[in-house]
Amino acid sequence: MRLLRVDMQTQQVKWEPVRPVYEHLGGRALVARLLLEEIPPTCDALGSENKLIFAPGLLGGAGVTAAGRLSVGGKSPLTGGVKEANAGGTAGDALGRLGVKAVVVEGQARQGEGYLLHIRLDSTDLQSAEKYKGLGTYATSDRLQEQYGEDCTVISIGQAGEYLMRGAGVSVTGEKDQRSNHAARGGLGAVMGSKGLKAIVIDKPLGRAISCVDEGLLRSAARTFAQKLINDPKLGTQGSQHLYGTASIVAAVNELGSFPTHNFSRGSFNDAENLRGEHLREVTLSRGGQTGTRCMPGCVIACRNVFADETGRPVVGTLQYETIALLGSNLGLNSLDDVARLNYLCNDFGLDTIETGAALGVAIEAGLARFGDLEGILSLLKQVGEGSVLGRVIGNGVVATGRELGIHRIPAALGQAMPGYDPRSLKGNGVTYATSPQGADHTAGNAFGARKEVNPLGVQGQKELSLKLQIIAAMLDSTGLCLFARPPILADPQLMVDMLNGIYGWNWTREDLDHFNRDVLRTELEFNRQAGITSADYRIPAYMREEPLPPHNSVFDVPDSELDSIFKEL
Amino acid sequence: MAVDIELYGQILPDAPRRQTLELEDSTTVRGLIARLDLTSEEIGLITINNVQSELDDMVPSDCRICFFPYVSGG
Repeated sequence: MRLLRVDMQTQQVKWEPVRPVYEHLGGRALVARLLLEEIPPTCDALGSENKLIFAPGLLGGAGVTAAGRLSVGGKSPLTGGVKEANAGGTAGDALGRLGVKAVVVEGQARQGEGYLLHIRLDSTDLQSAEKYKGLGTYATSDRLQEQYGEDCTVISIGQAGEYLMRGAGVSVTGEKDQRSNHAARGGLGAVMGSKGLKAIVIDKPLGRAISCVDEGLLRSAARTFAQKLINDPKLGTQGSQHLYGTASIVAAVNELGSFPTHNFSRGSFNDAENLRGEHLREVTLSRGGQTGTRCMPGCVIACRNVFADETGRPVVGTLQYETIALLGSNLGLNSLDDVARLNYLCNDFGLDTIETGAALGVAIEAGLARFGDLEGILSLLKQVGEGSVLGRVIGNGVVATGRELGIHRIPAALGQAMPGYDPRSLKGNGVTYATSPQGADHTAGNAFGARKEVNPLGVQGQKELSLKLQIIAAMLDSTGLCLFARPPILADPQLMVDMLNGIYGWNWTREDLDHFNRDVLRTELEFNRQAGITSADYRIPAYMREEPLPPHNSVFDVPDSELDSIFKEL
Repeated sequence: MAVDIELYGQILPDAPRRQTLELEDSTTVRGLIARLDLTSEEIGLITINNVQSELDDMVPSDCRICFFPYVSGG
């Protein structure tokens, strides 16, 4: 495999062999190691010393179901620490098939200049992206696919990334006309904008998946893995995830009192019925939209939907749980049509819906609109794309918005907005938010699925649960595996060991895999330590320890000592 | 005693999503599931009055009980 270095200052691109120290790494693990070794952790995240990395996971390109996610990484302008965000679509698979271990974007173009990186099997170069400047991600993707072919992959930023907004993500296209898979979190779209990189086009690789040391071992393990996903009651063709998408959990999270509502002031939303996955499916199918489609080639879970308006015109795909929580109940909106409109704009501007939904919630609390007032909220969100002063404040995320508007109820940890689980009623997630080197990120260790193991409202066992989940998440993010595909691997880690050994011939054991997973976290924690991040930066905001959250009137009461000692046994 | 019951997702797709059941005797969640013609295998999560509950918990009077299929995090 090869590593592609892109120097934005000189516009030179250079292929180089993968150094032995990086050979066993992929996705999030590779991001962490590259950042620790190659950039000063104290650097300006939007300056020339930061690097922006695109890396498929270790399974990328090998034809394993649900394993084609693309990791995007760099120092986060939002958290000030290490950041990896990943997305579905076709990029992870395409880069893997092209034998690309990582694309490392370095330096910065001259101010005002924008470039497009075109990756092909035989030649790769940087071209002017002047004509795409100021476009949203939909138009950018459409135009680039018109020019380079409808089967190429487009990775792009919208206006938010160009404006260097800390709430900006990176958009990735999928099969056919599929749009808007987002490596959303942590402001990596702003890092891409700071480099002067508007988009990357990856030609569709021809031929089969990457070569494997032991094809039989890989295929056998991959088949078993896929079959177990199909047989899983949550994930198979009759499973909730497939039928209702990630929105399948709306009702359950609402019922358990952890559904962010009115700027995280309540844990259940009276009008949640209209936001449920069941309702989403019914409305989508009745209007001619789609459910049960894939965000990655060959995924057997197929939890993606395409939400259509009343005329049957597709509005956005996919409408996800997190977006429904942060742009729906959190803003007092009880209509999926309203959420879809906001979702479309966020996608087009290239904004993280979690960060932006949280920022809008704070803006409403500051009196700039009313909860449930779609027009008022739309007017605020449109300003982000227009780049007005207020729009830039909101686009810079929930912490910036709270500080500028004088609101102290800011649902964030390590500078990053909390996703769709209030930590007061799902305390395992609170521990993850307050300890993950990624900041408040449910994908770093989501305790919702483990609610039967540990009482979501209790303190006991949350630290141990979060640690276990964080170690697993590190593996998922480093292998390119979707978060939802974890059950078979949790039940039998040997499946992952066999798939990796089949591809690479490493002769790993389960212990080696566990060591690998833990090392990802160690590396990230070390980066953050060297970046100057302290325990004070990681904390859950004080108001969540003091203000009871209805309906359980719970507070986040996991002691700081538990949080500070979570990685002692790592 | 009256119990408000709510079914979610693909559980008993043809049954009403909400119903109120009059129970003459106290029963466990497991007993209630049997009365509804459900099987515990298709239930991933049970809540009683917003609190996660288990099969052997007693059903309190005048409660709201929800049955969810298996779901994972979003």
